[in-house]
Amino acid sequence: MDWLSRQFSTRVIVLMPIAIAINIVLGYTVQTVLKLPIYLDSIGTILVGVLAGPIAGLLTGALSNIIWQYAPGIGGGTIGPFAITAAVIGLLAGLWGNLGVYRSRPGEGLAIWGPAVAAIVIIGLLAARMYTIPSYGDQANGYPSWVYPAIATIGVVAAVAVLAVTYFRHDAAGSWVAVAGAITGVVAAIVSAPIAAYAFGGVTGSGTDAIVAALRQGGADVLNASLGQGLFSDPIDKTITSFVVYLILISLSARFVARFPLGDRIVREPS
Amino acid sequence: MTGSSASHRDPTLPPPHEERLHALTTAPGDTAVLPGFLGRSVGGGYRGLAPVTKLVIALAEALIAFGVRGWSGPLLILVLVLVTGFAARVVRSFLPFLLATIPLLVSIVLVNTFLYPGATDTIVLLGPFHPTWTGLVAASQATARVVAFAMSVALLGLTTTTDDLMADLEQHGLGRRLTFVIGATVRMVPRMLVRAGEITEAQRARGLDTQGSIRRRIQGLIPLAGPLVIGALTDVEEQTMALEARAFTAPGRRTVLRTYPDGAGQRLVRWGLTLGTAAVLILSVAGQLAFLP
Repeated sequence: MDWLSRQFSTRVIVLMPIAIAINIVLGYTVQTVLKLPIYLDSIGTILVGVLAGPIAGLLTGALSNIIWQYAPGIGGGTIGPFAITAAVIGLLAGLWGNLGVYRSRPGEGLAIWGPAVAAIVIIGLLAARMYTIPSYGDQANGYPSWVYPAIATIGVVAAVAVLAVTYFRHDAAGSWVAVAGAITGVVAAIVSAPIAAYAFGGVTGSGTDAIVAALRQGGADVLNASLGQGLFSDPIDKTITSFVVYLILISLSARFVARFPLGDRIVREPS
Repeated sequence: MTGSSASHRDPTLPPPHEERLHALTTAPGDTAVLPGFLGRSVGGGYRGLAPVTKLVIALAEALIAFGVRGWSGPLLILVLVLVTGFAARVVRSFLPFLLATIPLLVSIVLVNTFLYPGATDTIVLLGPFHPTWTGLVAASQATARVVAFAMSVALLGLTTTTDDLMADLEQHGLGRRLTFVIGATVRMVPRMLVRAGEITEAQRARGLDTQGSIRRRIQGLIPLAGPLVIGALTDVEEQTMALEARAFTAPGRRTVLRTYPDGAGQRLVRWGLTLGTAAVLILSVAGQLAFLP
């Protein structure tokens, strides 16, 4: 029980509403106003998970979607049933936090470039595995042709971002954060697909519907079209989100971060 | 003036403390102990229910609308919500909630009607597009589901304030921390939107272009979102100290100022709905409700 109550100190209780509000405000802007094919609605969830632990992250994710659904003015969309996905994302973030993925790892030479290359290879293998699922592979039932250049472009941009942070901060943490984000995204896609297919016939009224429509055009059924869309959007989205959380954490003062339950797993130990 | 102690007082002075308190806590022609505005009457029927009962009703409606496949679930809930809405005189205010679902509905109808996998019963050929009846039926059912759900949300939102709901939930045993998180979030969202507006204006005064092309707007996202997020996080410190100073973590339950009408009947409704919804969902998942249209 001590492990559980430690995750809910007053500081965390105060952080949670702010995190949920960040989720809702940024997610609403990106999905509804800008209509981009990503979500960016889990920055707060991952932040709480990393700072406080898995159960606090789980609760933040689930509450975000439920409150968003019922929020006057910007609610009423399809976000509610995805509370399950958000909860899983928060839980995973807590585990990454516990494992010290977000801890600063300063170094030089191989100590920082090794992980960076490893991260790019791991994400590349993950992407190759996901985007070459046999049922999507053949031309008749596969992704529309524009998906492959799109993936390649996003991949290059992500690699450049990881390398840039590694170079300028002399720190290997960004690489591991990107890997953790990509894995979170794959899990999120697998959890989301049945929800989208079952509750909404696969579409959600946001920018990602274009991908669902393209996959359906290619002959995929409702569940596979949703899964295909999720496997396209979620790893990209969660990698970006995790990276943003990492950037937030390094721009906050160490004194502030260290006071949270998992602060000692994030702040660099004095050498 | 009679011989009471008050007769020695200057009548132009404000009444002594006890009298003022009495005037505050007693509505005219009423012997209630609480101030009049606390026991405000909200009318009978659905509106007279405790907030927590209304929440249970809304959740049951949502679960049945999504959990029972085909037409029966969504249509039953839709009729139920509209009848309740009429009785509570809020149907007219449903409109904005309905409008909010339109982008989703357009997506659902287009994607399903034109791209339903495996459907061959074409309605009419439109060049490369072939809408199907199967797709149209699936789209209509999904539409009914979404509208029924949106209306159930609207009914709860229009008849219950967040403060009432949170106070009633705390009274029914919801933890103080969870109550705070939900209540603070609901207050935080509009405040953050205002703050986002202030930051936009501040950055614009420094020469940031926020109204150009998409590329310009995306470039502007970082100088806008950055201060918003970091600024909100730096407030955590002050708020934590404010809460600690007010005995937030003190043990024991808080005294409730405002109470809501509740009774055996409502308790029965809540338990009945919870168990009934669970039973319906289990039957639905087990395929025992396949006979419903």
